[in-house]
Amino acid sequence: MLNIALPKGRLGDKVYELFASIGYDCSEIYSDNRKLVFENEENGVRYLLVKPSDVAIYIAHGAADIGVVGKDILEEGKFDIYELLDLGLGKCNMCVAAPNDYVEDFDRPLRVATKFVNIAKNYYISLNREIEIIKLNGSIEIAPLLGLTDVIVDIVESGKTLKENNLRVYEQIMPISARLIANKSSYKFKGKDIDTLMEKLTKELAK
Amino acid sequence: MDEFLSTLSKEDSLTYELSMLYKQWGYKEYRMAKFEEYSFYSDNRDFLSGKGILAFNNSDGRLMALKPDITLSIVKNAKLSDSLTKLYYNESVFRMSDSTMDYKEIKQTGVEVLGKVDEYLLAEMLMLAAKSLKTIDKDFVLSVSHMAFIPSLLAELEIGENAKKDIIECVKGKNIHDLRNICSKCGVSEEKTELLAKLAGINDKLDDAIDELCTLACNDEMKNACDELKFIASSLRKSDLADRLFIDLSVLNNTEYYNGIIFQGYVEKAPSAVLSGGRYDKLAGKLRENTQAVGFAVYLDNLNLYYKKKREFDSDILIVFDSANKSESLLSLVESFVEKGFSVRVEHTIPEGYRAKTVYSFENGALREVPSC
Repeated sequence: MLNIALPKGRLGDKVYELFASIGYDCSEIYSDNRKLVFENEENGVRYLLVKPSDVAIYIAHGAADIGVVGKDILEEGKFDIYELLDLGLGKCNMCVAAPNDYVEDFDRPLRVATKFVNIAKNYYISLNREIEIIKLNGSIEIAPLLGLTDVIVDIVESGKTLKENNLRVYEQIMPISARLIANKSSYKFKGKDIDTLMEKLTKELAK
Repeated sequence: MDEFLSTLSKEDSLTYELSMLYKQWGYKEYRMAKFEEYSFYSDNRDFLSGKGILAFNNSDGRLMALKPDITLSIVKNAKLSDSLTKLYYNESVFRMSDSTMDYKEIKQTGVEVLGKVDEYLLAEMLMLAAKSLKTIDKDFVLSVSHMAFIPSLLAELEIGENAKKDIIECVKGKNIHDLRNICSKCGVSEEKTELLAKLAGINDKLDDAIDELCTLACNDEMKNACDELKFIASSLRKSDLADRLFIDLSVLNNTEYYNGIIFQGYVEKAPSAVLSGGRYDKLAGKLRENTQAVGFAVYLDNLNLYYKKKREFDSDILIVFDSANKSESLLSLVESFVEKGFSVRVEHTIPEGYRAKTVYSFENGALREVPSC
């Protein structure tokens, strides 16, 4: 039995459709209830629906064998797991965004609002730029508009939210997409099952 | 003996069983102090790879550290014999926990051999590592790697140190897609990129994997490593443990300290490696001239969590007595039960939730069975 952690929400729905299309379906998942664990014994899968930012935690601690998670979460947390496949789903970019009229002042440390503290830190360390980070948990776009920070570091998908708040992409940090990850110990004991799933996924994604 | 071990926690029974195993293979127990001068660990901080050092001042003002690592201390302090120095230990280390970012005590047991390391010794080390894992759980996997492959290939590439570090992280995570991206950005040839990807992806039983490695080996270091692995595989072939050994080159360690074979062990119920070891001539040579070394540690912490022992009863017998009706005969009665091999608890009332096979009340110098507990 493969325990698969999926992120609740749009990405999770897309990933489930993908898994179902290659023979790992579990129709109970469509039932309108509050259950978080769904099992199809015949197909040998058990899906766990968890908060996107928790998928890698469940995998690292062995509560699930494999899972799908955004590269942003993996970069932010540094988990001891295997990152087996880039699914190419949920593509977006981790960016530095700033007000449309922003001009960088190099005389002082840059003030950065973000919920991705480690990604922001590592990016500016690579540029040797001194920064002050203000960690926010949501509505990051407001921070530069209110003068709280100079820039934000956040995920940009279409750029629509930025545009509506008079912000623009100032620098691109890294491309983000959904990744198939596995617990290291699970991979040692269920490697054949995981490799079979990966092969089917790779074929399906190549179509 | 089995009955005695069954009463112990997984951690305690393993400490005993593994000590017996290492003694049988001719290893001597090594005991050490809990503290060491801080400067010793700070000088070798890279070896500790960010495990954190818990330091304090002792009475004469010297800065001391609670041991964050056993290997360093053994290599520095063990009395070397003319031939091989074969030691085992049961110790605690004090390290920063990755999850809580706080210090915690981690119980470790392990073996270290100092002296001239040869192929027989490497095979013995893998055999002992496999037997240690089997003692924890019959479902185990020992992932064996060799520092001659990925590191020597990376050394040939004319790319920056940061890119090499990123590639190593990709290899450790079997992240072939990002590995290809980094190689492409750094101008690594397609041929070398594919070789790196193939090496990182190997995860087969010894004989099959070694055949593949031999066809991929592209420098003398790799070819010598293949010969070494072939000898070890043929030495282990007769053992029923050989089926549990896999070649997995994604197991990598610090090239400043480790050379040759390295390995990690997994058991089915634990989510991360419970055993880690390898050959570390470079570290040994730094601390003791002309000394080679190999060893491994078994991490016993958390095994109690993953291997919970379900006990049906808290004791065989529970005797309840009223202290107002004291009797000198109770103590000898309890002793007679214990001598017969029963576990006995004496209480004034039945403790809440207590489970005993038989409950007696002690009244007027005699035992009376109480129907249920």
